[in-house]
Amino acid sequence: MSEEPPRWSLAQRRLHAWGAILIVLTFALSLAMVALPMSQLLAKFLAYQLHKSFGLLVLIVTLLRLFLRWRRVSPELTGVTPPWQRAARLGQAVLYGLLLVVPALGYLTAQAAAGPVPTTLFLVIPVPHILDPNPALYAWLRPTHQIAAWSLILLAGSHVALAVRHQLQGVAVLRRIWG
Amino acid sequence: MLNRRSFIALALVPAFPARAQERLRYVFDQSIGRIGFSARHLGLFTSTGQFERFQATLLIDPANPANASVDCVVETAEVSIPFPGGNDLLRSESFFDVARHPTARFQGQANGLTEAGDFPIAGDLAVRGITRPFRMTARLVERQGGVARFQAEGEMRRGEFGMVTDRTFISDVIRLKVDVRIAV
Repeated sequence: MSEEPPRWSLAQRRLHAWGAILIVLTFALSLAMVALPMSQLLAKFLAYQLHKSFGLLVLIVTLLRLFLRWRRVSPELTGVTPPWQRAARLGQAVLYGLLLVVPALGYLTAQAAAGPVPTTLFLVIPVPHILDPNPALYAWLRPTHQIAAWSLILLAGSHVALAVRHQLQGVAVLRRIWG
Repeated sequence: MLNRRSFIALALVPAFPARAQERLRYVFDQSIGRIGFSARHLGLFTSTGQFERFQATLLIDPANPANASVDCVVETAEVSIPFPGGNDLLRSESFFDVARHPTARFQGQANGLTEAGDFPIAGDLAVRGITRPFRMTARLVERQGGVARFQAEGEMRRGEFGMVTDRTFISDVIRLKVDVRIAV
């Protein structure tokens, strides 16, 4: 038997998986909540609240992941060329940045909207708002949040596609992070 | 605070000389008054909106407001609520049905009685072609210089006026609030 290649710690693998699931859920909800007509106000309201709840969880999970990444030794990325290693590091840095920025912008967007709707985590825990309704700020925040979110989804998609590509080319990168 | 424009508007009223019982006739609209409404949602929060166009006539003796009477007509199409798509929802058939019912009206009269500064104004509220008894509680909020500020509040049940849609999310009870400053 060959030596077990280095892997991310169990906690890091779990948090990565939860982060991925939460991002997909949050993004799917964002499409649904915008598309739902005003005649289905309750469903629309619930979709917004869940979107905000999952989005804030993404922020928490990301902060935990960054903390663990700082505290623990990262496994060496073997089997790929140095340019790929650098590209992977850069891609991950941008992903981490977007994982912080997108929920933070979303949190502010919800507060700056002209019609104030409280944020209640899973309809249970009230989340304080730090901004008053501000239409001018909202006009900037709303599209910025949206563009950043689409960038995150596209980059995360590329991240997955490249990992699968490496795996298919015989570099066992999925084993490092999944399972 | 009064801005210059509203002060000029105030200076123009009362529009007509005194009538019997020393009541003065004031005509006002959205430029110096505000008619707001609010609904509750799942017990979690309140949404508020207002009517951007209305015409009201107030007969009042500022020294004895408990004899006042009011007639107010709002343009339902000018309903305004700060949520995307909210105005269209409120104009739709399920709510004000503005195509068929372009106006809503309240006609009310105080009965001469006051209680701790509040005086009731009872009358009829007509919305969507349905007229129901309606009661507001009014009071003189402040009087500074030549300007008196009155507020009135009342609760309607939208279901009584045929607005029965989405009772899960939008409360049946809708709170109405009127705020006006008049030159006295």
